[in-house]
Parts: sequence; structure tokens; C-alpha cells
Amino acid sequence: MLKRLSCLLAFVAQGAFADQTLVDEAIETHILPSFALLNEQTAVLEEVARVHCTATAPELRSAFHKAFDSWVRASHLRLGPSEENERAFALAFWPDTKGFTPRSLNDLITNQDPAIYEPATFAELSIAARGFYALEFLLYDTTFLPSEEAGYHCDLVRAITHEIHRNSAGIYLGWQGFQETLRNPSLEGTFKDETETLREVFKVLIAGLQFTSDARLGRPLGTFDHPRPARAEARRSERSRQHVELSLRATYDLAVLLSQNEPLIQKRLIDAYDRAIELAQEMDDPTFANVADPSGRFRVEVLQQAVDRIREIITLELAPALGVTEGFNALDGD
Amino acid sequence: MKTVISSFALLLAGTSAFAAGASKTDVLTNYSNIAEAKYADSLATAKTLQAAVVALVEEPSAEKLEAAKKAWLAARVPYQQTEVFRFGNAIVDDWEGKVNAWPLDEGLIDYVDTSYGGATDENAAAVLNVIANPSFTLGTETIDAASITPGLLEETLQEADGVEANVATGYHAIEFLLWGQDLNGHEAGAGNRPWTDYAQDTTCTGANCDRRAAYLTAATELLVSDLEWITAQWAEGGQARADVLADEAAGIVAMLTGMGSLSYGEQAGERMRLGLMLNDPEEEHDCFSDNTHNSHYYDGLGVQNVYLGSYTRVDGTVISGASLSDLVAAGNTDLDVEMKTKLSTTMKALGAIKTAAEAGFAYDQMLEAGNEAGEALVMGGVNGLVDQTKTIERIVAALDVNTIEFEGSDSLDNPSAVFN
Repeated sequence: MLKRLSCLLAFVAQGAFADQTLVDEAIETHILPSFALLNEQTAVLEEVARVHCTATAPELRSAFHKAFDSWVRASHLRLGPSEENERAFALAFWPDTKGFTPRSLNDLITNQDPAIYEPATFAELSIAARGFYALEFLLYDTTFLPSEEAGYHCDLVRAITHEIHRNSAGIYLGWQGFQETLRNPSLEGTFKDETETLREVFKVLIAGLQFTSDARLGRPLGTFDHPRPARAEARRSERSRQHVELSLRATYDLAVLLSQNEPLIQKRLIDAYDRAIELAQEMDDPTFANVADPSGRFRVEVLQQAVDRIREIITLELAPALGVTEGFNALDGD
Repeated sequence: MKTVISSFALLLAGTSAFAAGASKTDVLTNYSNIAEAKYADSLATAKTLQAAVVALVEEPSAEKLEAAKKAWLAARVPYQQTEVFRFGNAIVDDWEGKVNAWPLDEGLIDYVDTSYGGATDENAAAVLNVIANPSFTLGTETIDAASITPGLLEETLQEADGVEANVATGYHAIEFLLWGQDLNGHEAGAGNRPWTDYAQDTTCTGANCDRRAAYLTAATELLVSDLEWITAQWAEGGQARADVLADEAAGIVAMLTGMGSLSYGEQAGERMRLGLMLNDPEEEHDCFSDNTHNSHYYDGLGVQNVYLGSYTRVDGTVISGASLSDLVAAGNTDLDVEMKTKLSTTMKALGAIKTAAEAGFAYDQMLEAGNEAGEALVMGGVNGLVDQTKTIERIVAALDVNTIEFEGSDSLDNPSAVFN
């Protein structure tokens, strides 16, 4: 249901204007470090997979978890280089409402498709087969665990980890140039003024929180009559709850940074975040499997409401204070 | 899935970019007139489709099936241009799933090829095949489907088991019943359902031809009645028109929200770029009929004609009046020129996809992995849409607007994610 809350007409103080220093600081202390970490962790993952490519190898699984963690911490930063050359889409194709990931992996394995041996060809394949969620299937889904150790499965793990690192490195390197665009708005440039650069950064904060609420929490919740635990994100590797927490912590850093000139709003934001993170931490349900029973469901709903409270403060209080409008994001539409 | 819609509201006071120029009421009235005309055209062309379906069912033949397909294609032209009213107008968004839900698990409705697979994690009813089964179980309930009626489709089958891919009504269900599955993969060619799927004697193919005819009849009847309803909402005294005009600021916001949300998240994202990145020929908006190039084109045209305040009806008459363009130009001529330029750039790019497809380069082929010419065509459309969204955002900002509407939690129980 599309529900409209009361339409509150707020008057922006005439003095509100966008502050480029906030953007510069976000680039330096939040965006670049996040992608540097992703670049490092995915390089490690690729290296480890060269030596240990068996699905159950503890070294491989540990590297997978660390690299995936670093992606989730950066997953809200959907602007600039992540949006070019399908990079972020290929790293993280989820939700997969039509089962593209298992289907495309299955096609590769059944046909022993030689495309995986040629990185440039592999990079042209469907995004559903090339990222963290595809790798998760290979490492944790019982239907994909191979009967023998080596062989095609192992080569596919290597192809995907190589591709994951290639895209992660591409984003990191891309930011070396894109940061100049975002730091220096100009009338002829992509961003005309400080309002537009700040809006770009602000948008990823609000879209990241929306994704956590709608997809990470909303998908397994389904409706009361039809809870959908099978739709939880990365449930096969038992990362669903952890993704919520990691993503909240990552957007927390950005929210605190962007609200630094508004102490009262910042205080309310920190309180709201503390509550949501605490709820996420306390939850003893790594895959949200308990959404099917009323008390388990209730806890996930409470967490979702806590995330929505953060969104409310950002939309209703922080945006006007910063003098930005929300704009459109990829989650608009059906 | 329903979504909101990042939204905005205007500050009426202060030094707005709209301080002078066209009256907002005139702009909103013209917007409502255009909406009414587009839905009325959709209704009229749907009635033509209904007549063709009646003729097909009464006396099935290859010619009658072709005539019905032609009527369906014609009906899509005005309808796609209405999609710009969806996001931003709650009354439209709450309703449109009945007529244009997509994608669908067509195995719910009728027979499918074995390559389609079976029930999935997401949808236990993916291969239910109502046409073949007069009685079946849905969840824990036993359903009597001996008689296929509009009521059965609308109340029981649509979104059965709470799954959105269970699309039992609307244009795409009808499209599937006319064309059948497109089994050509990345090759050119649409679905190829034989007309004998409707033959009411021993030549019947695909079995249950009587029930298939009943399904098609019921679905078409529903389409007409649903379009009648929405057309009335935009007429004088209708609720959609009243909502838009009730608050000038919110009305203008609804116009811009519709333009931006359709351009960016919906069309550029879910419908175009995602299909390209998945290289999946089934990720076509009108996949059975191979009409996706037109679907994209007329979506884009709808955005453009809302901004320009001028719509050419299916009979050639023009509905035109005070426009958003006038309003923007009064405060900032450059911004208006920028918007118009970007809208025409997008239409040129979408036109290139349409002409290539009409000349034989099917949209399925464009989506194939490694097809660089196809990728360039589709990305041309995507880039145009993304770029025009930026200017829509600039207009929102220039309006001296302030984000004020918050997405209620009710909208979150149907989460929406176009792509991650």
C-alpha cells in the first residue's frame, strides 16, 4: 500500500545552503577508505582462491566473509564509478526475484562453459553469475557443492573471485578521478554547484537506509499472512542479520558526518542509530528464519521501524537543514 | 510492487522560481485533461481489442488471431503513455497492478514449455495452469475454477498466494494468451501460439480450448472495466483530478515525481539496464509479443508530453495547454531549455531502438551477451533517461521545494528493489 503521511510544509531557513566541505570530508574519510578496503579484501579473496578453491575450505570461506563484509560496508555508495561498466551491479546482484543467479550458474556448470577461462569473456556474462551472491551459492548451496574437489567448480570460484576483484579495483581506481568531479562542481560540469554534489552524497545515504528497510528486512518479512524467510539476503552463508548491522554502521558514519553542523539533529540521529544497531546486535536469528513465527517476526518488525525512524529524521530534519532535496534513486518504481 | 517515491513538496511562500508566469491551476488542469484523454484512448482501444477477442472466440481462425494481436498492439500505444501518471498519483499506483503488472510467471495461466521449469522458491504456483485445472489447491485452500470468470481472475488468481509474479489479469496476461511464450531465445521472433489453441472442435491444440477462450474473454472484459474506472477518476468530478487539484504544490510535485521515478528507477533501471546486464531475453517488458521497443518508446513519450503539456490523441486531435515547461521557463529559461533538450535527446535514443527493432533487429537480440551494437542502442536510451532525471531534480530544487513527505511503513511490506 502506498501510504502518504501527513504533508508537512516546512519553511527552510533562507540561510540554508549546501556546504562543499561536507562532501570533501565524506570523500576523504568515508568513501575512499571504504573502497580501499573493498579493493584490499577482494585482492586477498582472489589470492586465497588461487590456493584454496574447495567450497568448504576454511581459508576460502573466511576470505569470502571478509570481502563480503567490506562490500556491505560500501554497498550504499552507489554513485560515480560504481555505476559505470556495470561494476556494482556485477558485484552484488540481489534481490534475485526470478532466480537468475542459480539458473545462470547451473547453465555454466551443465555446459562446462569455457567462458570462465577467459576473464574478458566472463566479464560479458550476466551480472547474476559474477558477484558475491553467485559465489555464495557456490560455497554454501548444497545443490552446487561439487562431488569431487577440483574441476570446473573450482575454476568457476576462481573466475568469480577474479571478477569480483576486477570490479572492486575498478571502482577504487575510478574514484581517483571521480573525486575531482565531485569536489569541484562547475557550471559546465556534471554537478553545477555545491547543492548538487551534496545532494548526490545525501541521496546514497537515504537510498542505503531504504534498501536496508525495504529489501534486507522487508523481503524476508513479506506480509503477516505470507512471511518469506527464503527471501532473506545471503541466508545460505547466514549473513542476513549481519548485513543489516554492517550497513547501519556504515551509513551511521556518513549520517554523523553530514549532520556535524546540526548538533540537535545529530543527537537525535545518533540516538536512533544506537537503538537500531542495538536491536540488530541483540537479534539471535542470523537468517531471519524466525519471521514465520509471531514473536520472531515482531523483533524484525521492530528493527525495521527503528531503521525507518532514522530515515524519518534524515528526510524530515536533516535534508531541510542541509538545503537539499531528496531526488530520485534506483529504488523508485516498482 | 508499490513504492514510494521519493517525494517533495513545495514551499508556496518565499521567492519561488514560479513566482510569475503560468498559473499552477491551469497547468494542473491541463495535466488532468491529458490524463483523462490518455485513459479514454486506452479504454477505446481496449474496447476494439475486446471486439476482436469476441470475434476470435466465436469463430477462431488464423486471421482472427492476427486481428486480435494487432488490436492489442494498438491498445498499448496510448496506455504506455499513461505510465508517467503512476508514480506520484497514489490512486493510479494502487490501481495499475490490475492492468499492467509485470513480470509474470505465465505458467500460472496456461501450458508452458518444459524449459520454463517448475514451481520456485519464490512462487509455488508458477506452473499452476488454471486453464488445464478446473480445481486446484492454492496454499491450503481448494479453489473451484470450473467456471473462469472475471471474478475468479481478479479475486482469487491475481497475486495468488501473495506472490506478485502471479499476474492473472491485464495487458500482459492477455498478451500471453494471444502470442504464447517466446521460445526464440536471443533470436528474432515473438511467441507463436497457434490459432488452433482457440479451436472449439477436434482441431483444438494445447487442450482445454474452451477454458482458454473463457480466460481470454474474462481477462479482456476486466481490462475494459478497469480502464473505465480509471478514466472516470480523471474526468470532471473524478477523484484523481480532485486529488491533483486539491493542493497546487502537491500537484506539481506529483507531476515531477511521476516523470523522475518513471525515467530513472523504473524505465532506465528495472526495464532497460537490468535486462541488458542479465542478458535475458525474458527481461523484455512486452516479451511475448516482442513489442518492447514500443513499450519503452511510448513510456518516454509520456514523460515528454507531460512536461510539454501537449498530447496527440489516437484520433489525431491534440490536447494542449498550460505546461510545466511554461512554469519553469517563467523562472528560469535556461533550465527549461535544458529539460526540453534532454527530453528530445532521450526520444531520439528511444526512437533509434524502435526503428532498429522495426527494421528487424529484435530487442531480444540487443540483449544478448557481447552484442555491442545492441548494448549501445539500449544504453543510449538508459543514458538519456538518467540524464533527464538529473534535470528533473534541478527543477525540483529550483522550485524551492523541500522534502517533506515520508514513506509510510505500510508501503514497506511490499518492498521494492529495482536493482541493488
